[in-house]
Amino acid sequence: MSANSWLATGNFHTTYKHEQNTFYTSLDRSVFTFFLILLFAWPIFYPLSNKYMLVTDNILIAIVAVMGLNLVTGFAGLISIGHAAFVGIGAYTVASFCRTLGADHVMVTHFWPVLIIFSGLFGAFFGALVGLPALRLKHLYLAIATLSFQMIFQWVINFMSFFNQGQTISVGRAFWLTGEIGRNQHYVFWYYIILTIVVLLGFGVRNLMKTRYGRCLIAVRDNDRAADAMGMNPGLTKVYAFALAGFFAGVAGALHAYLYRGVGFDSFTLKISVSYLAMAIVGGLGTLNGSFWGPVAIKLLDLQVEHLSEVAKQYLPSAMNVATALKPFTFGLVIVLFLMFEPRGIANWWRITKSYTKLWPFRY
Amino acid sequence: MTYFFQIIISGVVVGSIYALAALGLVLIYKSSRVANFAHGQIIASGAFIAFFLTVDKGVPIFFSFIISMIVTFFLAMSVERIFLRRLIGEPIISVIMVTIGLASIIDGLIYFTKFGTENYSFPAFLPQEPVSLWGVSISWTQLVGLIITSLLIGGFSWFFKKSTVGISMRAVSDDQFGSMSVGISVPRVFGLAWATAGLSAAAAGCIIGNITGLNFETLHAFGIVVFPVVILGGLDSILGAVIGGIIMGLIQQFAAGYLDGNFGLSGTGDVMPYLVLLIILLFKPHGLFGIHEIERV
Amino acid sequence: MKSKKAVLFNVLLVLVLMVAFTASVQAGGKVYKLGMSLAITGPTSDAGNPMSKGVEDWFKFVNDTKLLGDDTIECVIRDDQYENDATKRNFEEYLDEGIVFYLNYSTGSTLALKKDFEDAKVPVVPASYHEGNLIDSTQIFLPVATYSENIVGLAEYIVANHKEGGVPKVAFFIHPSAFGRGPLEDTQKAVAAGLKIEIVETVEHGKDLDSTAMLTRLQSKGVQYVLCHSVQSPVATLLKDSQRLGMTAKSFGEKGKLTFVGAHYTGGNDLIALAGDAAEGFLWACSYNMTSENNEGAKKQLDLAKKYGRDDKAANSHNYATGILMAQIPTEAIKRVKEAKMEVNPANLYKILNEMNGAKEYKSFVAAGPLSYSPKDHIGVDVQNIYQAQGGQFKAIKSVSSEYMKTIRAGK
Repeated sequence: MSANSWLATGNFHTTYKHEQNTFYTSLDRSVFTFFLILLFAWPIFYPLSNKYMLVTDNILIAIVAVMGLNLVTGFAGLISIGHAAFVGIGAYTVASFCRTLGADHVMVTHFWPVLIIFSGLFGAFFGALVGLPALRLKHLYLAIATLSFQMIFQWVINFMSFFNQGQTISVGRAFWLTGEIGRNQHYVFWYYIILTIVVLLGFGVRNLMKTRYGRCLIAVRDNDRAADAMGMNPGLTKVYAFALAGFFAGVAGALHAYLYRGVGFDSFTLKISVSYLAMAIVGGLGTLNGSFWGPVAIKLLDLQVEHLSEVAKQYLPSAMNVATALKPFTFGLVIVLFLMFEPRGIANWWRITKSYTKLWPFRY
Repeated sequence: MTYFFQIIISGVVVGSIYALAALGLVLIYKSSRVANFAHGQIIASGAFIAFFLTVDKGVPIFFSFIISMIVTFFLAMSVERIFLRRLIGEPIISVIMVTIGLASIIDGLIYFTKFGTENYSFPAFLPQEPVSLWGVSISWTQLVGLIITSLLIGGFSWFFKKSTVGISMRAVSDDQFGSMSVGISVPRVFGLAWATAGLSAAAAGCIIGNITGLNFETLHAFGIVVFPVVILGGLDSILGAVIGGIIMGLIQQFAAGYLDGNFGLSGTGDVMPYLVLLIILLFKPHGLFGIHEIERV
Repeated sequence: MKSKKAVLFNVLLVLVLMVAFTASVQAGGKVYKLGMSLAITGPTSDAGNPMSKGVEDWFKFVNDTKLLGDDTIECVIRDDQYENDATKRNFEEYLDEGIVFYLNYSTGSTLALKKDFEDAKVPVVPASYHEGNLIDSTQIFLPVATYSENIVGLAEYIVANHKEGGVPKVAFFIHPSAFGRGPLEDTQKAVAAGLKIEIVETVEHGKDLDSTAMLTRLQSKGVQYVLCHSVQSPVATLLKDSQRLGMTAKSFGEKGKLTFVGAHYTGGNDLIALAGDAAEGFLWACSYNMTSENNEGAKKQLDLAKKYGRDDKAANSHNYATGILMAQIPTEAIKRVKEAKMEVNPANLYKILNEMNGAKEYKSFVAAGPLSYSPKDHIGVDVQNIYQAQGGQFKAIKSVSSEYMKTIRAGK
């Protein structure tokens, strides 16, 4: 413990228990609390238009999904190219309820928290199932096995009439204590719900990494044979990493279903899986705060490029291709540049900034 | 019975085209342990370059195929030089993501041109009548595809077995540090692997383009379609790619020929390869012909 | 020093005046905001791209030639890459900006946003002619006949022109999605209602490189007609395979051969570009006027494309025509609302569109027939032309409208 509980210019841990603390100094804690309050309060003082609120909600959902992906790919080192399919399973769990009970059944509209958790559990079940090949497969072979899962998921949804053959299955409006959530409050309402879930799950991941289960994941990533020798069970760890990722994805999927008030197959395609991976990479694999940076960066980039092409279109009247081709081009370029010059992602910048301010005015 | 043989022949022919498309993936993986997710985009570029030369520049079609192969040869080599050279030794996820990013960049570049959104087809240059044997028919395009595939695959097999460069490529795939110490330039080998992959991709692009017509979405989808093929055969085996390709071709044709429309099923040709792949991977985690990696702590 | 200040002041004054002047010019007419979201890149962009050009050019034409007097139309066109989530984002933004009319694209996004259209009460014209778009919806106005009308209309044409006796045997070749399956179900209903065809088999295609087995199977089952409902690329592969196997009928309904017919998105110049000679004889139902017809409408379409510097490929595309029609519908509605001295807002546009029938129907130069809407009928152009590919061009051979679809829809 440093002498000053507000400022600390280094590690002053004297006990293991102290190292386990989420916040090392009071300053950390206050800044975080302030930031949290800010997150909850800003929509009241600065209401956004529906579009930007939708974008914000969308980013938050992506954060939930990417946290899960980061657990399996970042912490446990198992590449998953089928994460959107897990998200899809969550969404289609909600959709199945709507199909069997009706979109406006009490179960769907009033008991949505139950349904969201249930979707997560269902996602976890499928995650564990898909994780089974991980007992035998490694590296690229595993990546392709998850790719196969993605393809099979797409085919099943597209084929079965129970899932409306991939066309949108509508989901009813949710109810809150004040009654039905109308169109005007819809996005703000879900902002608060998703934000709460993000905060809860974020703390969950943060604390998981302090337990033996969390450390197990990292040990298996770094060397699964060594981990085996140390008495861990790499097979079980891998399956459970996939199950965890499936849980996060399932929750994200259920939220997606409620936010968009419908579930359609093309929100869960291979392309989306790839973009989740891109978010995880740009944010920083194997870090918690990377799961926040990545979705924000990629989604905002997408939006900015859209604005840019709008401007470019005015100067290039009949060459529309030039303007719209910018989207995939910049998306690819950002991924490649990050991997070439900052493979540890935005989380690394955050780390550098943090340690700089912590040690200032000293260099180290 | 003719129906049955027709399905077998079609399956083999289609499978050999898959094998050609898959060859590029194997070539790259064999030497540098990189899975190239931008392969479909290179296939499409090869086809578009050939079309551009033939139709817009009036080059005879066979020459334009060859020029297109040469262009993609250097294109793929420069891709390796610019993007992947820096990533030697990085974790596999980074390398996969770079190729995914690359795919997106090439997408963007192709959308800048007219090929991104418009449909074309190669001018007919082969006889339209099919080759018919005992009631089983193959089109000339497919036949030429089959011949080019066997030539290229035979050539590459010889190249890896006998030539010095080929042997050094195999050495690099086995042990990078070991081969460096005996004087093999590892970066050069990587560049060459990408270049040959680019060449085979252009050949595949020209053949597929002749069969399906030139539509960017259709063409670049083959980059993903061939993944089950290479995984089934084993990522680092040329023979595996050929056999994997033919198995996949047969599975698809049989699924489309016997399953579809019979048990209320449809479109099984697209999903069966992945199902079979998952099942085979459970028993052979490194594919049918892949080398089992020995891992040490 | 003082003179310098005076110069500065004068410059400032001039600037202010200029700004005020330009502002007053803009204030001379009202600006009506419209929004469109479609796939300019990504899947199906071969259709979406020329469509966006058509919409853009027509609105430019409206503003340049002062069709609405001093008022202008400002239509934002966004690329959603065929992703419903992006479409929804675009739609929310347009709503924030206060659009009076919305143009949509794919079947998927139209169905996904159907509820939002109802909530927002904005009239919508989609580029998807899926029958299901109209179920439980009031705001969606389809510009032309639905896919089901295409397919059932073609089936009726087959029944009417089938030369030999007996019931014509048909097979379906469809896209593996709800988009592909919709018209199949409606045809089955038509068969149940008395349409005399026999549906022998349904094929859902994948990324096939070879359809020999499938074609031989169809032929051995005695199929004579293949009804296609998909996009151009797979149909082109099918036609090429059939041609090389010598299975394609030389004339309509030739015995022992296959005659291929298809709905809106299977045909057009793109099919000929992909399939070449193999497309010869392909029958295609479409409610647009093709430029190969060389009539008055075709000339106007080509002139418009020339005016805004489009290449031949875009100018002759029926998707360009689709774009023009999609832009013409709101233009006409706004014009009529203005003539009725009402305020241009979504509710009034909706009202005017529903009155667009009888003597008030709208004749567009790109469509095969007049466009009419009523509160009960939200399908614009009911007439469709049956085109046949002849010598590398689609030529109109008959103008039809589906009879069975009316009874099926009434039975719903």
